[in-house]
Parts: sequence; structure tokens; C-alpha cells
Amino acid sequence: MADDAQTRRRGVFAHPSEEEFARILDFYQIAWEYEPRTFALRWDEHGNVLEAFSPDFYLPEQDMYVELTTMEPRLMTKKHRKLRQLQKLYPDINIKLLNRADFKGLMLKYGLDEDEGLVGPRGQPPKPE
Amino acid sequence: MDSRGSPRWPADIGPTFLSEEQIQQRVAELGAQVSRDYAGQDLVVIGVLKGVLFFMADLLRAITIPVCVDFLAISRYGAAEQTRGVVRLTKDLNEPIDGRHVLFVEDIIDTGLTTHFIMRTLRQQGPSSLNACVLLNRTRRRLIDVDLAYVGFEIPDYYLVGYGLDFKERYRNLPHLVKYERNRSG
Repeated sequence: MADDAQTRRRGVFAHPSEEEFARILDFYQIAWEYEPRTFALRWDEHGNVLEAFSPDFYLPEQDMYVELTTMEPRLMTKKHRKLRQLQKLYPDINIKLLNRADFKGLMLKYGLDEDEGLVGPRGQPPKPE
Repeated sequence: MDSRGSPRWPADIGPTFLSEEQIQQRVAELGAQVSRDYAGQDLVVIGVLKGVLFFMADLLRAITIPVCVDFLAISRYGAAEQTRGVVRLTKDLNEPIDGRHVLFVEDIIDTGLTTHFIMRTLRQQGPSSLNACVLLNRTRRRLIDVDLAYVGFEIPDYYLVGYGLDFKERYRNLPHLVKYERNRSG
């Protein structure tokens, strides 16, 4: 079980939404790991990895990965393609995508919908390759 | 005020999602089903405050076998600093449930986080059986799988208020379920 201090470590998370999500999991005492595994998605002819994907969270008790994104839907094409490729190459992996609308819904539910920093007017930028 | 002088609900109250009649018909069906399934058994029906208030009251009156009733309350995640610890019971059960059949009743299941915590807490108290009954099942954001023995309605990703469901503690007293649309112009 990750302790609450883990979520207070500034700089661990790529985006404030991820830190908030970790706090929610901590609150409900759900064990989690942050980006524990990177899945190779594409290789060159020498076997070097050209493209990979690291889901944001892993919930060990549920054996489920969670990818959280607050990106605008128009910027999601590449992420959707990566998710499809992940599911094709690793069919036994259980992964859940929480998109911008899902996260906004969660924030509305918890009364945090007015915190612009969590979702932002344009959402989070794509992760660097 | 409308033309007849009656107060109006604010503009952020959207269209009706489920009418009183639709809700009552389904609750009656659930009550009949629970009555059949638990006939002759010692059943404790447990609700978690406050959203379940109206559903619990209607469901209990639709159940035609004798049951015991109890309530739990838990802390909720939110912006207040004091809620940034871990979830905890703010009201425990009054009825012992060790060796008894328990039906946990909830208004809505979304991520499954709350239900998972409560079911785990109840299971630790040694009931003979433990099942869950939910009025509204919204699976879009489900993180924790929860076995649901009784489901009123499967719902899409709408934010609903009324019939016990709130937005920042308001609108619970609407008799039907409506879509909450925050930026809806009046």
C-alpha cells in the first residue's frame, strides 16, 4: 500500500491530475504504483524499441493499469493508437483509460471541479517521447 | 418564480432522466425480488448516508418480509483539508450483523471505491451472506469491480441529482432524477 506521504512528493507526477488521482486512491486505501512498467510497442529490425507506452498507474489488488489523461479529445489520436497496440500485443493486460471527461466527472463528484489546475482549459500536454 | 407564483428550480437543473413513476416501478420490482430471495431469513438492510435516503425508504416499503434496518456514514473525499486522510466510518452500525444475512443498499455506484470500502468493512464483521443492491449503476469510470446482486438502472455518464443525489448538498429533495448541467443557461 502506498502511504499518503507518497502523494505529497512533489515532482513525482507528470501532471497535477495524476497527483489528485493518487490522493483519491490513498483516501480509499487502494494500493497503487506509479508508472511501474513500460510496454514496448514497436521495434526496428535489430530489436531496438522504437515506441513504448507506460500506463500511469497500476492497481496490484485489481491487477489493472490505469491511464489518466486530461488532454483535449483532438489530441488523443496518438494515445488511442498506442492503447489499441498495447491491447493487441499484450491481450492479458487489463487497462482502463480515464479521459478528460471522466476526470472532470470525478472532480465534479468530489467538489473539486473549480480547481482549474487539475484539468486546465486546454488539458495536459502530451508526454514527451 | 413562475407565472403561478411557485418557486422554480435553478437553471442548472436539466431535463428529467428518470421520472418518479419510472423510479417507483423499478423499486417495487427490486423490493419484490429481495422479498422472494430472503424469505424466511434474518435480513439486515444497511444503507450508507445520505444519498440512499429516499431509495432506502421506498425499497424498504416495497419489501414484504420482516427486516432489520441500519445505516452507515463514511467520510467523503473532497477539498477540505480534514478529508485528505483516509476514508473512515463517521457513523457505525447499531445492529450486530455477525451470522446474519446483510443487504447493502446504495444510491449510485460509479468508481466502486466507496462500495468496495464498505463491503470490505461489512465483510470483516462476519455476516452469513453479503449482497449489494444499487439503484443506479454507472460503469464508465469503474475502477474496482463490485458484485451487484440487484441493480435498478444502468446509466450513462451523466451527473444526476434528485431522489437523494446531490450537487454540493443541494437538490437531494427533487422527487425524480434529473441531469445536472452546470453551465446550462436559464
